[in-house]
Amino acid sequence: MQQFVTLTVNGIILGSVFAAFALTLVLIYRATRIINFGQGAMAMFSAYLALETIKRTDSYWLGFVVALVSGFIIGGVVERVIVRRVETGPELNAVIVTLGVFVGFVALASILFGNTIEGFPAPFSVRGFEAVAITPTDIFKLIAVLIAMGLLLVLFQFTSLGLQMRAAAFGQEVARLLGVRVGQMLTLGWALAGMFGALAGVLIASGAPVSPTYMDAVVVFGFVAAVLGGLDSFVGAVVGGLVLGLTNTYVAGYVERGSALVTLAALAILITVLLLRPSGLFSSSVARKV
Amino acid sequence: MLEIKDLVVAYGPVKALDGVNISVPKGKITAVLGANGAGKTSLLRSVSGLVKSRSGQILLEGTDITRKPVENMVRLGMAHVPEGRGVIAELTVEENLRLGGLFRRGGDADEQIEGVYKQFPPLDSRRKRSAHTLSGGERQMLVVGRALLAKPKVLLLDEPSLGLAPLIVNQIFTLVRDLVDSTGLAVLLVEQNAKSALGIADTGVVLNLGKVVATDDASVLVADEQLRHAYLGF
Repeated sequence: MQQFVTLTVNGIILGSVFAAFALTLVLIYRATRIINFGQGAMAMFSAYLALETIKRTDSYWLGFVVALVSGFIIGGVVERVIVRRVETGPELNAVIVTLGVFVGFVALASILFGNTIEGFPAPFSVRGFEAVAITPTDIFKLIAVLIAMGLLLVLFQFTSLGLQMRAAAFGQEVARLLGVRVGQMLTLGWALAGMFGALAGVLIASGAPVSPTYMDAVVVFGFVAAVLGGLDSFVGAVVGGLVLGLTNTYVAGYVERGSALVTLAALAILITVLLLRPSGLFSSSVARKV
Repeated sequence: MLEIKDLVVAYGPVKALDGVNISVPKGKITAVLGANGAGKTSLLRSVSGLVKSRSGQILLEGTDITRKPVENMVRLGMAHVPEGRGVIAELTVEENLRLGGLFRRGGDADEQIEGVYKQFPPLDSRRKRSAHTLSGGERQMLVVGRALLAKPKVLLLDEPSLGLAPLIVNQIFTLVRDLVDSTGLAVLLVEQNAKSALGIADTGVVLNLGKVVATDDASVLVADEQLRHAYLGF
Protein backbone atom coordinates (compact mmCIF):
# COMPACT_ATOMS: atom_id res chain seq x y z
CA MET A 1 0.00 0.00 0.00
CA GLN A 2 2.76 2.37 0.94
CA GLN A 3 4.48 1.56 -2.32
CA PHE A 4 1.28 2.29 -4.22
CA VAL A 5 0.89 5.67 -2.55
CA THR A 6 4.51 6.58 -3.18
CA LEU A 7 4.37 5.51 -6.80
CA THR A 8 1.10 7.37 -7.35
CA VAL A 9 2.30 10.60 -5.79
CA ASN A 10 5.57 10.44 -7.68
CA GLY A 11 3.68 9.65 -10.86
CA ILE A 12 1.49 12.69 -10.43
CA ILE A 13 4.49 14.93 -9.82
CA LEU A 14 6.38 13.56 -12.79
CA GLY A 15 3.19 13.72 -14.84
CA SER A 16 2.61 17.35 -13.95
CA VAL A 17 5.99 18.27 -15.40
CA PHE A 18 5.25 16.24 -18.54
CA ALA A 19 1.91 18.03 -18.66
CA ALA A 20 3.61 21.42 -18.39
CA PHE A 21 5.82 20.52 -21.31
CA ALA A 22 2.92 19.10 -23.30
CA LEU A 23 1.06 22.36 -22.71
CA THR A 24 3.81 24.28 -24.45
CA LEU A 25 3.41 22.10 -27.55
CA VAL A 26 -0.36 22.60 -27.42
CA LEU A 27 0.01 26.37 -27.03
CA ILE A 28 2.14 26.54 -30.15
CA TYR A 29 0.11 24.04 -32.12
CA ARG A 30 -3.10 25.92 -31.41
CA ALA A 31 -1.59 29.25 -32.38
CA THR A 32 0.33 28.28 -35.49
CA ARG A 33 -0.50 24.62 -36.33
CA ILE A 34 3.16 23.87 -36.00
CA ILE A 35 4.71 21.20 -33.81
CA ASN A 36 7.76 22.73 -32.27
CA PHE A 37 10.44 20.05 -32.09
CA GLY A 38 12.83 22.69 -30.76
CA GLN A 39 10.80 23.29 -27.60
CA GLY A 40 12.86 20.96 -25.39
CA ALA A 41 16.16 22.42 -26.57
CA MET A 42 14.89 25.96 -25.97
CA ALA A 43 13.87 24.95 -22.44
CA MET A 44 17.26 23.32 -21.88
CA PHE A 45 18.98 26.54 -22.96
CA SER A 46 16.93 28.57 -20.48
CA ALA A 47 17.77 26.08 -17.75
CA TYR A 48 21.47 26.52 -18.53
CA LEU A 49 21.11 30.28 -18.31
CA ALA A 50 19.50 29.70 -14.92
CA LEU A 51 22.33 27.42 -13.87
CA GLU A 52 24.94 30.03 -14.84
CA THR A 53 23.02 32.64 -12.86
CA ILE A 54 22.84 30.35 -9.83
CA LYS A 55 26.57 29.65 -10.03
CA ARG A 56 27.37 33.36 -10.09
CA THR A 57 24.85 34.64 -7.55
CA ASP A 58 24.25 31.56 -5.41
CA SER A 59 20.53 32.24 -5.63
CA TYR A 60 18.25 29.51 -6.96
CA TRP A 61 15.36 31.93 -7.20
CA LEU A 62 17.21 34.46 -9.29
CA GLY A 63 18.10 31.62 -11.64
CA PHE A 64 14.45 30.55 -11.68
CA VAL A 65 13.36 34.04 -12.76
CA VAL A 66 16.13 34.23 -15.38
CA ALA A 67 14.91 30.94 -16.84
CA LEU A 68 11.31 32.13 -17.14
CA VAL A 69 12.21 35.51 -18.60
CA SER A 70 14.73 34.06 -21.04
CA GLY A 71 12.22 31.37 -22.04
CA PHE A 72 9.66 34.05 -22.83
CA ILE A 73 12.16 36.04 -24.91
CA ILE A 74 13.58 33.01 -26.72
CA GLY A 75 10.09 31.78 -27.60
CA GLY A 76 9.03 35.15 -28.96
CA VAL A 77 12.23 35.75 -30.91
CA VAL A 78 12.25 32.26 -32.44
CA GLU A 79 8.70 32.82 -33.72
CA ARG A 80 9.28 36.33 -34.95
CA VAL A 81 12.64 35.81 -36.59
CA ILE A 82 12.63 32.19 -37.75
CA VAL A 83 9.21 30.53 -37.67
CA ARG A 84 7.27 33.51 -39.11
CA ARG A 85 8.89 32.82 -42.47
CA VAL A 86 7.60 29.26 -42.71
CA GLU A 87 4.17 29.67 -41.11
CA THR A 88 2.44 29.94 -44.47
CA GLY A 89 4.47 27.47 -46.51
CA PRO A 90 4.15 23.69 -46.70
CA GLU A 91 4.02 21.97 -43.30
CA LEU A 92 7.26 20.13 -43.89
CA ASN A 93 9.14 23.45 -43.98
CA ALA A 94 8.06 24.23 -40.45
CA VAL A 95 8.99 20.74 -39.27
CA ILE A 96 12.50 21.05 -40.69
CA VAL A 97 12.92 24.55 -39.29
CA THR A 98 11.91 23.54 -35.75
CA LEU A 99 14.25 20.55 -35.98
CA GLY A 100 16.90 23.08 -36.93
CA VAL A 101 16.04 25.11 -33.84
CA PHE A 102 16.48 21.93 -31.79
CA VAL A 103 19.90 21.15 -33.25
CA GLY A 104 20.96 24.80 -33.05
CA PHE A 105 20.20 25.24 -29.36
CA VAL A 106 21.80 21.95 -28.36
CA ALA A 107 24.93 22.91 -30.30
CA LEU A 108 24.97 26.42 -28.87
CA ALA A 109 24.62 25.10 -25.33
CA SER A 110 27.45 22.63 -25.88
CA ILE A 111 29.70 25.43 -27.13
CA LEU A 112 28.80 27.93 -24.41
CA PHE A 113 28.33 25.71 -21.38
CA GLY A 114 30.30 22.58 -22.26
CA ASN A 115 29.10 19.17 -23.27
CA THR A 116 29.44 17.69 -19.81
CA ILE A 117 27.11 16.59 -17.06
CA GLU A 118 26.66 19.11 -14.25
CA GLY A 119 24.57 19.15 -11.09
CA PHE A 120 21.63 21.55 -10.94
CA PRO A 121 20.81 22.72 -7.40
CA ALA A 122 17.42 22.11 -5.82
CA PRO A 123 15.42 24.85 -4.12
CA PHE A 124 14.47 22.70 -1.14
CA SER A 125 15.61 19.47 0.45
CA VAL A 126 15.77 16.41 -1.76
CA ARG A 127 15.44 14.01 1.17
CA GLY A 128 12.15 12.14 1.26
CA PHE A 129 9.64 12.23 4.13
CA GLU A 130 9.33 9.17 6.35
CA ALA A 131 5.78 8.23 5.42
CA VAL A 132 6.03 8.65 1.67
CA ALA A 133 9.13 8.76 -0.46
CA ILE A 134 8.62 12.21 -1.87
CA THR A 135 10.72 15.27 -1.19
CA PRO A 136 9.95 18.91 -0.43
CA THR A 137 11.43 19.76 -3.84
CA ASP A 138 8.93 17.38 -5.45
CA ILE A 139 6.10 19.19 -3.72
CA PHE A 140 7.50 22.51 -4.90
CA LYS A 141 7.51 21.20 -8.48
CA LEU A 142 3.88 20.16 -8.27
CA ILE A 143 2.81 23.50 -6.78
CA ALA A 144 4.80 25.48 -9.35
CA VAL A 145 3.13 23.62 -12.22
CA LEU A 146 -0.31 24.01 -10.68
CA ILE A 147 0.16 27.75 -10.22
CA ALA A 148 1.43 28.14 -13.79
CA MET A 149 -1.50 26.16 -15.15
CA GLY A 150 -3.91 28.24 -13.10
CA LEU A 151 -2.44 31.45 -14.48
CA LEU A 152 -2.66 30.10 -18.01
CA LEU A 153 -6.29 29.15 -17.48
CA VAL A 154 -7.13 32.61 -16.14
CA LEU A 155 -5.31 34.25 -19.04
CA PHE A 156 -7.08 32.22 -21.71
CA GLN A 157 -10.57 31.97 -20.23
CA PHE A 158 -11.04 35.24 -18.40
CA THR A 159 -9.05 37.98 -20.07
CA SER A 160 -9.51 39.94 -23.26
CA LEU A 161 -5.95 39.11 -24.29
CA GLY A 162 -6.65 35.40 -23.89
CA LEU A 163 -9.83 35.70 -25.91
CA GLN A 164 -7.90 37.43 -28.68
CA MET A 165 -5.25 34.69 -28.61
CA ARG A 166 -7.92 32.01 -28.94
CA ALA A 167 -9.65 33.92 -31.72
CA ALA A 168 -6.35 34.28 -33.58
CA ALA A 169 -5.73 30.55 -33.19
CA PHE A 170 -9.13 29.36 -34.38
CA GLY A 171 -10.16 31.93 -36.96
CA GLN A 172 -7.26 34.00 -38.23
CA GLU A 173 -9.11 35.89 -40.92
CA VAL A 174 -12.19 36.62 -38.84
CA ALA A 175 -10.00 37.68 -35.93
CA ARG A 176 -8.16 40.14 -38.14
CA LEU A 177 -11.44 41.58 -39.40
CA LEU A 178 -12.46 42.08 -35.78
CA GLY A 179 -9.27 44.02 -35.13
CA VAL A 180 -7.17 41.37 -33.39
CA ARG A 181 -3.48 41.80 -34.17
CA VAL A 182 -2.97 38.20 -35.13
CA GLY A 183 0.78 38.42 -35.70
CA GLN A 184 1.36 39.75 -32.19
CA MET A 185 -0.89 37.06 -30.74
CA LEU A 186 1.15 34.33 -32.46
CA THR A 187 4.39 35.80 -31.13
CA LEU A 188 2.87 36.02 -27.67
CA GLY A 189 1.71 32.40 -27.92
CA TRP A 190 5.24 31.27 -28.70
CA ALA A 191 6.67 33.47 -25.95
CA LEU A 192 4.29 32.01 -23.37
CA ALA A 193 5.13 28.52 -24.59
CA GLY A 194 8.81 29.37 -24.26
CA MET A 195 8.26 30.52 -20.68
CA PHE A 196 6.23 27.44 -19.78
CA GLY A 197 8.84 25.22 -21.41
CA ALA A 198 11.58 26.93 -19.42
CA LEU A 199 9.59 26.26 -16.24
CA ALA A 200 9.37 22.57 -17.12
CA GLY A 201 13.08 22.61 -17.99
CA VAL A 202 14.12 24.08 -14.65
CA LEU A 203 11.81 21.83 -12.66
CA ILE A 204 13.16 18.70 -14.37
CA ALA A 205 16.70 19.93 -13.79
CA SER A 206 16.29 20.89 -10.14
CA GLY A 207 18.19 18.45 -7.96
CA ALA A 208 19.22 16.42 -10.99
CA PRO A 209 22.13 16.25 -13.44
CA VAL A 210 21.92 18.34 -16.59
CA SER A 211 23.66 18.14 -19.94
CA PRO A 212 22.71 19.75 -23.27
CA THR A 213 20.56 16.70 -24.03
CA TYR A 214 18.90 16.21 -20.65
CA MET A 215 15.50 17.34 -21.94
CA ASP A 216 15.33 14.74 -24.71
CA ALA A 217 13.47 12.16 -22.61
CA VAL A 218 11.03 14.79 -21.36
CA VAL A 219 10.41 15.89 -24.94
CA VAL A 220 9.41 12.36 -25.88
CA PHE A 221 7.00 11.97 -22.98
CA GLY A 222 5.66 15.53 -23.29
CA PHE A 223 5.12 14.99 -26.98
CA VAL A 224 3.26 11.73 -26.43
CA ALA A 225 1.17 13.43 -23.73
CA ALA A 226 0.22 16.24 -26.12
CA VAL A 227 -0.71 13.83 -28.90
CA LEU A 228 -2.75 11.70 -26.48
CA GLY A 229 -4.73 14.78 -25.56
CA GLY A 230 -5.36 15.70 -29.18
CA LEU A 231 -2.62 18.34 -29.63
CA ASP A 232 -5.01 21.26 -29.32
CA SER A 233 -6.58 20.67 -25.93
CA PHE A 234 -5.12 22.07 -22.71
CA VAL A 235 -7.12 19.59 -20.63
CA GLY A 236 -5.96 16.79 -22.91
CA ALA A 237 -2.32 17.74 -22.41
CA VAL A 238 -2.71 17.67 -18.63
CA VAL A 239 -4.52 14.33 -18.65
CA GLY A 240 -1.99 12.94 -21.13
CA GLY A 241 0.87 14.14 -18.93
CA LEU A 242 -0.59 12.53 -15.81
CA VAL A 243 -1.29 9.23 -17.62
CA LEU A 244 2.33 9.09 -18.77
CA GLY A 245 3.71 10.11 -15.38
CA LEU A 246 1.75 7.37 -13.63
CA THR A 247 2.66 4.83 -16.31
CA ASN A 248 6.27 5.76 -15.77
CA THR A 249 6.30 5.17 -12.03
CA TYR A 250 3.97 2.14 -12.04
CA VAL A 251 5.90 0.32 -14.74
CA ALA A 252 9.20 1.18 -13.12
CA GLY A 253 7.94 0.23 -9.65
CA TYR A 254 5.87 -2.88 -10.23
CA VAL A 255 7.40 -4.58 -13.24
CA GLU A 256 10.64 -6.43 -12.89
CA ARG A 257 13.38 -4.42 -14.61
CA GLY A 258 10.51 -2.07 -15.40
CA SER A 259 12.55 1.10 -15.77
CA ALA A 260 13.86 -0.24 -19.08
CA LEU A 261 10.29 -0.76 -20.28
CA VAL A 262 8.98 2.73 -19.47
CA THR A 263 9.46 4.13 -22.97
CA LEU A 264 7.91 1.02 -24.48
CA ALA A 265 4.86 1.42 -22.25
CA ALA A 266 4.46 5.03 -23.40
CA LEU A 267 4.59 3.85 -27.00
CA ALA A 268 2.00 1.15 -26.29
CA ILE A 269 -0.38 3.71 -24.77
CA LEU A 270 0.14 6.08 -27.67
CA ILE A 271 -0.63 3.40 -30.24
CA THR A 272 -3.68 2.15 -28.33
CA VAL A 273 -5.19 5.62 -27.99
CA LEU A 274 -4.51 6.57 -31.57
CA LEU A 275 -6.07 3.30 -32.78
CA LEU A 276 -9.23 3.95 -30.80
CA ARG A 277 -9.44 7.73 -31.16
CA PRO A 278 -7.20 8.94 -34.00
CA SER A 279 -7.76 12.61 -33.18
CA GLY A 280 -6.70 12.14 -29.56
CA LEU A 281 -8.71 11.98 -26.36
CA PHE A 282 -9.75 15.61 -26.06
CA SER A 283 -9.44 17.20 -29.47
CA SER A 284 -11.65 20.27 -29.43
CA SER A 285 -11.53 21.08 -33.12
CA VAL A 286 -14.89 20.95 -34.79
CA ALA A 287 -15.56 20.42 -38.43
CA ARG A 288 -16.09 23.79 -40.03
CA LYS A 289 -19.34 24.26 -41.87
CA VAL A 290 -19.45 26.72 -44.69
CA MET B 1 -18.75 57.97 -46.31
CA LEU B 2 -16.97 55.27 -48.33
CA GLU B 3 -15.57 56.00 -51.79
CA ILE B 4 -14.14 53.32 -54.04
CA LYS B 5 -12.20 54.78 -56.97
CA ASP B 6 -10.86 52.94 -60.03
CA LEU B 7 -10.28 49.81 -57.99
CA VAL B 8 -8.38 47.04 -59.75
CA VAL B 9 -7.92 43.64 -58.10
CA ALA B 10 -6.13 40.85 -59.88
CA TYR B 11 -5.21 37.28 -59.05
CA GLY B 12 -2.20 36.70 -61.27
CA PRO B 13 -3.23 37.62 -64.82
CA VAL B 14 -6.96 37.41 -64.05
CA LYS B 15 -8.61 40.68 -63.19
CA ALA B 16 -11.38 40.19 -60.62
CA LEU B 17 -12.17 43.91 -60.52
CA ASP B 18 -11.34 46.20 -63.40
CA GLY B 19 -11.65 49.88 -62.55
CA VAL B 20 -14.62 49.85 -60.21
CA ASN B 21 -16.12 53.10 -58.88
CA ILE B 22 -18.70 52.93 -56.10
CA SER B 23 -19.85 55.53 -53.62
CA VAL B 24 -21.46 54.45 -50.36
CA PRO B 25 -23.14 57.41 -48.68
CA LYS B 26 -24.00 57.82 -45.01
CA GLY B 27 -27.42 56.56 -44.00
CA LYS B 28 -27.90 54.58 -47.21
CA ILE B 29 -27.71 50.96 -48.27
CA THR B 30 -25.75 50.37 -51.44
CA ALA B 31 -26.31 46.92 -52.90
CA VAL B 32 -23.77 45.35 -55.24
CA LEU B 33 -25.39 42.72 -57.41
CA GLY B 34 -24.18 40.27 -59.97
CA ALA B 35 -23.70 36.62 -60.77
CA ASN B 36 -21.12 34.29 -59.28
CA GLY B 37 -17.65 35.43 -60.28
CA ALA B 38 -18.74 38.99 -61.00
CA GLY B 39 -16.20 40.18 -58.41
CA LYS B 40 -18.55 40.95 -55.54
CA THR B 41 -16.62 39.18 -52.81
CA SER B 42 -13.29 40.45 -54.17
CA LEU B 43 -14.69 43.94 -53.87
CA LEU B 44 -15.45 43.62 -50.15
CA ARG B 45 -12.23 41.75 -49.45
CA SER B 46 -10.13 44.44 -51.05
CA VAL B 47 -12.04 47.24 -49.33
CA SER B 48 -11.30 45.73 -45.93
CA GLY B 49 -7.72 44.92 -46.91
CA LEU B 50 -7.89 41.11 -46.92
CA VAL B 51 -6.89 41.24 -50.58
CA LYS B 52 -4.38 43.80 -51.79
CA SER B 53 -5.62 45.88 -54.67
CA ARG B 54 -3.40 46.40 -57.70
CA SER B 55 -4.40 50.01 -58.15
CA GLY B 56 -7.12 52.44 -57.23
CA GLN B 57 -8.14 54.14 -54.03
CA ILE B 58 -10.45 53.51 -51.10
CA LEU B 59 -11.46 56.52 -49.05
CA LEU B 60 -13.22 56.39 -45.70
CA GLU B 61 -14.58 59.81 -44.76
CA GLY B 62 -12.05 61.32 -47.11
CA THR B 63 -9.09 59.45 -45.58
CA ASP B 64 -7.16 57.11 -47.83
CA ILE B 65 -7.30 53.62 -46.28
CA THR B 66 -6.17 51.72 -49.37
CA ARG B 67 -3.03 50.12 -47.94
CA LYS B 68 -3.98 50.04 -44.26
CA PRO B 69 -3.66 46.65 -42.54
CA VAL B 70 -6.88 44.67 -42.04
CA GLU B 71 -6.54 44.86 -38.26
CA ASN B 72 -6.93 48.64 -38.34
CA MET B 73 -10.25 48.68 -40.16
CA VAL B 74 -12.41 48.13 -37.08
CA ARG B 75 -10.61 50.93 -35.29
CA LEU B 76 -11.22 53.20 -38.29
CA GLY B 77 -14.93 52.44 -38.15
CA MET B 78 -15.41 49.71 -40.74
CA ALA B 79 -16.90 46.30 -39.99
CA HIS B 80 -16.85 43.44 -42.50
CA VAL B 81 -19.13 40.42 -42.20
CA PRO B 82 -17.46 37.86 -44.45
CA GLU B 83 -19.20 35.38 -46.69
CA GLY B 84 -20.08 32.04 -45.14
CA ARG B 85 -20.90 33.21 -41.63
CA GLY B 86 -17.63 34.14 -40.02
CA VAL B 87 -18.36 32.76 -36.58
CA ILE B 88 -15.43 31.35 -34.67
CA ALA B 89 -16.99 27.96 -34.08
CA GLU B 90 -14.66 26.93 -31.24
CA LEU B 91 -15.68 29.91 -29.09
CA THR B 92 -18.99 30.40 -27.30
CA VAL B 93 -21.70 32.75 -28.53
CA GLU B 94 -20.81 35.21 -25.78
CA GLU B 95 -17.10 35.09 -26.60
CA ASN B 96 -17.83 35.78 -30.26
CA LEU B 97 -19.82 38.83 -29.25
CA ARG B 98 -17.16 40.01 -26.84
CA LEU B 99 -14.65 39.91 -29.69
CA GLY B 100 -16.92 42.22 -31.65
CA GLY B 101 -16.90 44.76 -28.86
CA LEU B 102 -13.15 44.70 -28.18
CA PHE B 103 -12.33 47.68 -30.32
CA ARG B 104 -15.61 49.48 -29.99
CA ARG B 105 -15.24 53.15 -30.65
CA GLY B 106 -16.24 54.50 -27.25
CA GLY B 107 -18.96 53.27 -24.95
CA ASP B 108 -19.43 50.20 -22.82
CA ALA B 109 -19.51 46.96 -24.81
CA ASP B 110 -21.07 44.80 -22.08
CA GLU B 111 -24.25 46.80 -22.12
CA GLN B 112 -24.38 46.62 -25.90
CA ILE B 113 -23.96 42.84 -25.82
CA GLU B 114 -27.15 42.67 -23.78
CA GLY B 115 -28.70 44.81 -26.50
CA VAL B 116 -27.74 42.23 -29.14
CA TYR B 117 -29.39 39.49 -27.05
CA LYS B 118 -32.56 41.54 -26.95
CA GLN B 119 -32.44 42.03 -30.69
CA PHE B 120 -31.79 38.34 -31.36
CA PRO B 121 -33.54 36.31 -28.65
CA PRO B 122 -32.35 32.94 -30.06
CA LEU B 123 -28.80 33.94 -29.13
CA ASP B 124 -29.81 34.85 -25.58
CA SER B 125 -30.61 31.26 -24.60
CA ARG B 126 -27.34 30.01 -26.12
CA ARG B 127 -24.85 32.43 -24.57
CA LYS B 128 -22.53 29.82 -23.11
CA ARG B 129 -22.94 27.33 -25.94
CA SER B 130 -20.23 26.77 -28.47
CA ALA B 131 -20.98 28.70 -31.67
CA HIS B 132 -20.77 25.55 -33.78
CA THR B 133 -24.07 24.38 -32.28
CA LEU B 134 -25.94 27.30 -33.88
CA SER B 135 -28.15 26.99 -36.95
CA GLY B 136 -27.37 28.94 -40.12
CA GLY B 137 -29.81 31.71 -39.25
CA GLU B 138 -28.48 32.01 -35.71
CA ARG B 139 -24.94 32.20 -37.05
CA GLN B 140 -25.95 35.05 -39.32
CA MET B 141 -27.56 36.83 -36.38
CA LEU B 142 -24.40 36.29 -34.38
CA VAL B 143 -22.06 37.74 -37.03
CA VAL B 144 -24.28 40.71 -37.77
CA GLY B 145 -24.70 41.40 -34.06
CA ARG B 146 -20.97 41.01 -33.56
CA ALA B 147 -20.13 43.42 -36.38
CA LEU B 148 -22.51 46.05 -35.01
CA LEU B 149 -20.89 45.84 -31.56
CA ALA B 150 -17.87 47.63 -32.99
CA LYS B 151 -20.20 50.57 -33.63
CA PRO B 152 -19.03 50.91 -37.23
CA LYS B 153 -19.63 53.84 -39.55
CA VAL B 154 -19.51 51.52 -42.54
CA LEU B 155 -20.78 47.95 -42.59
CA LEU B 156 -19.73 45.54 -45.33
CA LEU B 157 -22.13 42.61 -45.67
CA ASP B 158 -21.19 39.68 -47.88
CA GLU B 159 -24.11 37.50 -49.02
CA PRO B 160 -26.06 37.59 -45.75
CA SER B 161 -28.97 35.71 -47.34
CA LEU B 162 -26.90 32.75 -48.50
CA GLY B 163 -28.57 29.50 -47.47
CA LEU B 164 -31.09 31.14 -45.14
CA ALA B 165 -34.86 30.76 -44.98
CA PRO B 166 -36.68 33.77 -46.50
CA LEU B 167 -38.21 34.62 -43.13
CA ILE B 168 -34.79 34.99 -41.52
CA VAL B 169 -33.38 36.91 -44.50
CA ASN B 170 -36.28 39.28 -44.12
CA GLN B 171 -35.67 39.67 -40.39
CA ILE B 172 -32.00 40.49 -40.87
CA PHE B 173 -32.62 42.86 -43.77
CA THR B 174 -35.30 44.70 -41.79
CA LEU B 175 -32.92 45.07 -38.89
CA VAL B 176 -30.18 46.48 -41.11
CA ARG B 177 -32.62 48.88 -42.75
CA ASP B 178 -33.82 50.13 -39.35
CA LEU B 179 -30.27 50.62 -38.17
CA VAL B 180 -29.32 52.57 -41.26
CA ASP B 181 -32.32 54.83 -40.86
CA SER B 182 -31.84 55.41 -37.16
CA THR B 183 -28.03 55.69 -36.90
CA GLY B 184 -26.85 56.91 -40.29
CA LEU B 185 -24.77 53.78 -40.82
CA ALA B 186 -23.48 53.32 -44.38
CA VAL B 187 -23.95 49.79 -45.70
CA LEU B 188 -22.26 48.14 -48.65
CA LEU B 189 -24.26 44.98 -49.26
CA VAL B 190 -23.15 42.30 -51.66
CA GLU B 191 -25.89 39.94 -52.76
CA GLN B 192 -26.66 37.30 -55.32
CA ASN B 193 -30.29 37.44 -54.25
CA ALA B 194 -30.90 40.65 -56.19
CA LYS B 195 -34.63 40.82 -55.59
CA SER B 196 -34.41 40.85 -51.80
CA ALA B 197 -31.40 43.14 -51.82
CA LEU B 198 -33.04 45.75 -54.05
CA GLY B 199 -36.03 45.56 -51.74
CA ILE B 200 -34.09 47.23 -48.93
CA ALA B 201 -31.32 49.07 -50.79
CA ASP B 202 -31.31 52.74 -51.77
CA THR B 203 -28.84 52.33 -54.60
CA GLY B 204 -27.95 49.31 -56.70
CA VAL B 205 -24.69 48.64 -58.49
CA VAL B 206 -24.60 45.84 -61.05
CA LEU B 207 -21.26 44.16 -61.48
CA ASN B 208 -20.37 41.90 -64.38
CA LEU B 209 -16.95 40.31 -64.94
CA GLY B 210 -15.27 42.87 -62.71
CA LYS B 211 -16.85 45.94 -64.27
CA VAL B 212 -19.74 48.13 -63.20
CA VAL B 213 -22.45 47.86 -65.85
CA ALA B 214 -25.12 49.91 -64.10
CA THR B 215 -25.49 52.20 -61.09
CA ASP B 216 -28.86 53.66 -60.22
CA ASP B 217 -31.60 54.00 -57.63
CA ALA B 218 -32.83 50.60 -56.54
CA SER B 219 -36.33 51.35 -57.78
CA VAL B 220 -35.03 52.25 -61.24
CA LEU B 221 -33.05 49.01 -61.48
CA VAL B 222 -36.06 46.95 -60.45
CA ALA B 223 -38.09 48.62 -63.19
CA ASP B 224 -35.47 47.96 -65.88
CA GLU B 225 -36.66 44.66 -67.27
CA GLN B 226 -33.84 44.22 -69.76
CA LEU B 227 -31.16 44.69 -67.12
CA ARG B 228 -32.94 42.40 -64.72
CA HIS B 229 -33.09 39.61 -67.25
CA ALA B 230 -29.52 40.10 -68.42
CA TYR B 231 -27.72 40.32 -65.09
CA LEU B 232 -29.99 39.86 -62.11
CA GLY B 233 -31.91 36.72 -62.95
CA PHE B 234 -35.41 37.79 -62.02
